[in-house]
Amino acid sequence: MLRLSLSSLRRRRGAFAASFLAMFLGATILMAFASLLDTAEGTSGTAKSTLTTMALVVGGWGLVLVVFAVTSTLTLSVRQRGAELALLKSVGATPAQLGRMIVGETGGLAVVAALLAVPAALLAGRGLLGMLHASGQVPDEIGYAFGPVALTMGLGITFASATGAALITARRATRVRVTESLMAAAVEPGGLSRKRIVGAVLFLALALNLGVVTATMMRGAGTDAMATSGQADIFAAIGLALLAPLIIRLATGVLAGPLRRLGGVAGELAVTNLRRRTGQMASVLTPIILFTGTGVGTLYLQDIENASMSAAGLAKTAEQKDIETLNFVVIGMIVVFTAIMLVNTLVTATTHRRREFGQQRLAGATPGQVLGTVALESAVLAATGVVCGAVAALFTVLPFSIARSGTAVPDGGPGIFVAVAALAVVLTGVTALGTARRTVRTPAVAAVGV
Amino acid sequence: MFGRREGDHAGTNPAGRNPAGGTGEALRLDSVSKVYGAGGNRVNALDGVSLSLPTGSFTAVMGPSGSGKSTLLQCAAGLDRPTGGRVFVDGAELAGENEAALTRFRRQRIGFVFQQFNLMPTLTVMQNVTLPLKLAGQKADKDKARAVLERVGLGDRLRHLPSELSGGQQQRVAIARALVTEPKVLFGDEPTGALDTRSAREVLALLQEAVHAYGRTVVMVTHDPVAASCAGAVLFLADGRLVGQLVAPTAEAVAERMTHLADEVERQRATAGV
Ligand SMILES: Nc1ncnc2c1ncn2[C@@H]1O[C@H](COP(=O)(O)OP(=O)(O)O)[C@@H](O)[C@H]1O
Ligand SMILES: [Mg+2]
Repeated sequence: MLRLSLSSLRRRRGAFAASFLAMFLGATILMAFASLLDTAEGTSGTAKSTLTTMALVVGGWGLVLVVFAVTSTLTLSVRQRGAELALLKSVGATPAQLGRMIVGETGGLAVVAALLAVPAALLAGRGLLGMLHASGQVPDEIGYAFGPVALTMGLGITFASATGAALITARRATRVRVTESLMAAAVEPGGLSRKRIVGAVLFLALALNLGVVTATMMRGAGTDAMATSGQADIFAAIGLALLAPLIIRLATGVLAGPLRRLGGVAGELAVTNLRRRTGQMASVLTPIILFTGTGVGTLYLQDIENASMSAAGLAKTAEQKDIETLNFVVIGMIVVFTAIMLVNTLVTATTHRRREFGQQRLAGATPGQVLGTVALESAVLAATGVVCGAVAALFTVLPFSIARSGTAVPDGGPGIFVAVAALAVVLTGVTALGTARRTVRTPAVAAVGV
Repeated sequence: MFGRREGDHAGTNPAGRNPAGGTGEALRLDSVSKVYGAGGNRVNALDGVSLSLPTGSFTAVMGPSGSGKSTLLQCAAGLDRPTGGRVFVDGAELAGENEAALTRFRRQRIGFVFQQFNLMPTLTVMQNVTLPLKLAGQKADKDKARAVLERVGLGDRLRHLPSELSGGQQQRVAIARALVTEPKVLFGDEPTGALDTRSAREVLALLQEAVHAYGRTVVMVTHDPVAASCAGAVLFLADGRLVGQLVAPTAEAVAERMTHLADEVERQRATAGV
């Protein structure tokens, strides 16, 4: 099985690269924050509490986000191997053997990714501490440390979440019978499992709870309200992302008419793809929701904070400016991470459609018609993702605005939302079309042959 | 159902002489060659192949594995570009500066059936068959599509997905999809290669009917002497060259010729290798 794994690793370089990138970035963020705990070791007083709070609170949201992103990337890449697994099964591989193969591969990849992430995390962690020094929250004498906490958390969490995701996906992928999985490899409706529903309800309830706490108990608590409201959008985004298959079905139901009327044959193909490949589409929708939700939510959070500081007539001290910068850096890390996940997922998912695109071309579609279908699908996914992301962001924005200014609607205007939404649409469109264009360069006959 | 009836000529003449009642030349290749790779990896997949097939003919192409049969079909069908030579379908030269132009050329004149069916897995039988019409910007004529599907015996499977059909049924959908645009030439690359004997017979009967009842021109690659004997003539290919032809073939004659061909190629390769 090891030899098989290695040869599969070589042939499926693209899909593995995507999983690897997700785990590498995830481990970098995790270890950068965890190393603040190593740094806090041996300090005392406010410095210690600042470092610990930053590591646990911000690192905590990061953790949830990273684990979820890594899990969904891995789920996608294992699901894409449906046909390969079915083939292995048809030549006599047992489900247990396949499970070991997938989990082994993923676990190995996770360890390598986490180890390679150490230097990157070291740099990022040092940068974070540098900013804490600059803002005076941590005295300059406290030096940076990267130690056992960062290493064990980074390696442990990356490895555990990766193998956990692989186990769940592998079990589902290997449980189905051979003929079924050969078919499922072609069409896969992507139902909403009970696990998904329970998870979604849990995350949404958590987000709602944080929102209510922020709007009521943290009212007038000032900057501290950030601690409860900052993560509500992440939880809400994850909750909605878990409902992605259902959301896609609803959105397709609403948009099918206009797509068919205005989009012609490309519109019709887009509708059937959204209907019949809901699972695949859901894995693309997920990072769009995460990106928009966390981006819009956290940026408004800082914007409201800034506005209420100046409303209170408080001129910002140099220190407060530094804290603001630090917040933006943290927000930036999260937004960049989700943006990379978005691109990563789209490239993987689109490249995987090579055969489908080839079949479409053999049926008489020009490359332009193939790209037209992809463009319409992307438009539906981007629009749906942006709407869901905006809803998720409300879980942070409304309560925090109530807590800080007494009114639910922030004064900032729609600028931030428009900017983040536009970025989400552009990232989705450019990545999907760019990848599809590269994919249709393969001659159609060759594309369906592999 | 496959379009206009064009007389009942047998069309067993692969050499380009028009049979009485035929409407001319459906396919012509002028010293077509195809080179894959470069330098030391150069493969002459096709080495100056010329042929002419009259309208309404049914031609089988046979040859050892790797002799260039698929390459020949793909170059003739505009799915691949020859390195040299010219291809004419229904009198029009197959040339296009890009894939979109080639695609438009194919839509009007060419149908293709593959060993692995290549139906769109997300579309129903009906949607698969109307797809070429829609892609060509024509009205999706459902009555026409239904009629063709009834002809191939799948009138009761219109709303099924390909994954819900047997291999033979999927191949019949693929034939219906290829014929719905009323192409001049229908190509098949081992269309019965993945089917059981009975399904293969059904598929061959459909191809014969397309030729004899509806005047289509069919070119089919096959390994099976019985399948080849359904055709009006068999062309033999070895190392990218046409090396023989058999008119009004019987399965026994084809099998014998193939055995000779295999021996000959073996001998030639052995001498070349020394
Ligand atoms: N895309 C390709 N790249 C390189 N060589 C190819 C390619 N396609 C076919 N060939 C080579 O061209 C020759 C003819 O192939 P093909 O037409 O597929 O043969 P057949 O269909 O008769 O088995 C073979 O030697 C094959 O290896
Ligand atoms: Mg071949």
